[in-house]
Amino acid sequence: MTDEPLQAEDVRKVYRGRIGPHVEALRGVSLSIRRGERLSLLGRNGAGKTTFLRIASTLLLPTSGRIHVFGFDVVDEPERVRPLIAVVPQEGKPFFHLTPREQVYCYLRARGIAREIARARTEEALEKMGLLEVADRLSVTLSGGQKQRAMVATVMATEAPLMFLDEPTIGLDPFARRAVWDVLRELTRKGSTVLLTTHYLDEAEALSERLYIVEEGRILFEGTAADAKRQIGGTLRVSIENGGPVRDLFRSFGQTVEEGTALSVITGPERIHEIMDIALRNRLSATVGPVTLEEAFLTIVGRSIDEE
Amino acid sequence: MAFRLHWAGSGVFLATEVRVQLHEWLAIVTGTLTPGALIVFVAILAPELLPVTLVGALVYSMFLIGQRVLNEAAYVRIDHKLNELYHASPLSPEGYFVGIAGGMLVAYLPPSLVLLGILQILHPLDAVAGLTLIVCLLAVWAVSSTIGYVVSTLFKDMKTIWPYSALLTNLFGVVPPVFYRLGSVPVEWRSVVLLLPTSAAAVLVDSAAGLEPLTRTEATTAAVALAAEALVLFAFGIYWARRTARER
Repeated sequence: MTDEPLQAEDVRKVYRGRIGPHVEALRGVSLSIRRGERLSLLGRNGAGKTTFLRIASTLLLPTSGRIHVFGFDVVDEPERVRPLIAVVPQEGKPFFHLTPREQVYCYLRARGIAREIARARTEEALEKMGLLEVADRLSVTLSGGQKQRAMVATVMATEAPLMFLDEPTIGLDPFARRAVWDVLRELTRKGSTVLLTTHYLDEAEALSERLYIVEEGRILFEGTAADAKRQIGGTLRVSIENGGPVRDLFRSFGQTVEEGTALSVITGPERIHEIMDIALRNRLSATVGPVTLEEAFLTIVGRSIDEE
Repeated sequence: MAFRLHWAGSGVFLATEVRVQLHEWLAIVTGTLTPGALIVFVAILAPELLPVTLVGALVYSMFLIGQRVLNEAAYVRIDHKLNELYHASPLSPEGYFVGIAGGMLVAYLPPSLVLLGILQILHPLDAVAGLTLIVCLLAVWAVSSTIGYVVSTLFKDMKTIWPYSALLTNLFGVVPPVFYRLGSVPVEWRSVVLLLPTSAAAVLVDSAAGLEPLTRTEATTAAVALAAEALVLFAFGIYWARRTARER
């Protein structure tokens, strides 16, 4: 066993359809995760995030390439990998005819965790996920968000060294999402490592120390959220309402994004005065804010689509 | 990795499944409706055949338990994705398979015990017949659970799966001589029905209980077929559970 939670080399996956064309879901993905790190995989639907997660968590065989989890090969040594990992599956739901308390406790016991420890961890997980009040209600009676929280509680209670979470906060309200973030931060402080996929870019930014952007089975970007923003040619965004007649003028200041009648210019702080000056002279409403990860994501993925 | 079986955690998972089923106690009760209705008809129309029907009802119920494995395993996998939660954990695939199959057996056993109680009142079984009954029922459970589990892994939609459960239950539980005597089957078909696990189990128990005699050849054929099917299929179930724990 090594200290490196995950090391992937040139992982490829082709889904061979009986009818219709083969689908190349992963085209040589290589990445690594450091111990105690929170890492996000970002990408459009069908980009290959879930495929990668499922291969890394021993649920799917790759077509080629290698993934090692703490030094163990996920293809050849799954029985050595599995005690070290836990997975929140995408769209997973708890047993409807168990209560959240039973769900978490039974899962921990099935993993071989001793009764007393399982009991204590169950209570702790339910409390942190805000489920104590409904802990003894059958899951079938819970809201969608509560069911999702029960799934996250089940997995976080394992305190597994490496956790895979496939869209863990989907359907959660902002408070519940933040509760999950807090729990994940605490888990990594305790030494666990977290690999998650998400479509919430604010979540990826708030939670991840590093992120990978995946598109069409390839990694387009690796780095921090700040690195991603630097890729798009500016750190500030000027949003101009109804840029109409002077649109072309704004385009000379940097990359522009059009959303309806609004126009956003991505630029650096040195050019803000000029842009605002033009906006004011033309009686246009304009606001300045930092570039978001979403804009960086759209730009990086958009560039790739254009190149294709 | 050698083909070494790992059972750690399977007892807990079995207990989890029992707990899940017990929260749906109405489903357990309604499982007795078909054999219960048949028993009522036979009691009215041909009371002398009641012991044979009760043995048939026990075999049928055991086969039905296996078919519940089909529905449960498919539901847990397709609707809840909980198979992924468990497969990416120290619980082995064989432990998962046996946990579901065993959980269904334990949870759905009480109605069968009621049937057994009625049989004991109407036609008491001696030790040999009792032991034959237990062994045969376990063999039927092993066969049916494996068929159920394997079929559950073949589809991606619950709606596609539903008809298979009904089809298998009728094919194995109603058509062959499970609820009726082997003597009612045309001679040329008898060797075929003796190869089917449900009818083999029923005729063996009927014979051991003195309800219908079997020739030595018929008894040997039924016993060997049932034992072989149970052992081979259960071993295949374990192999299949391991194979399908990871998609390809």
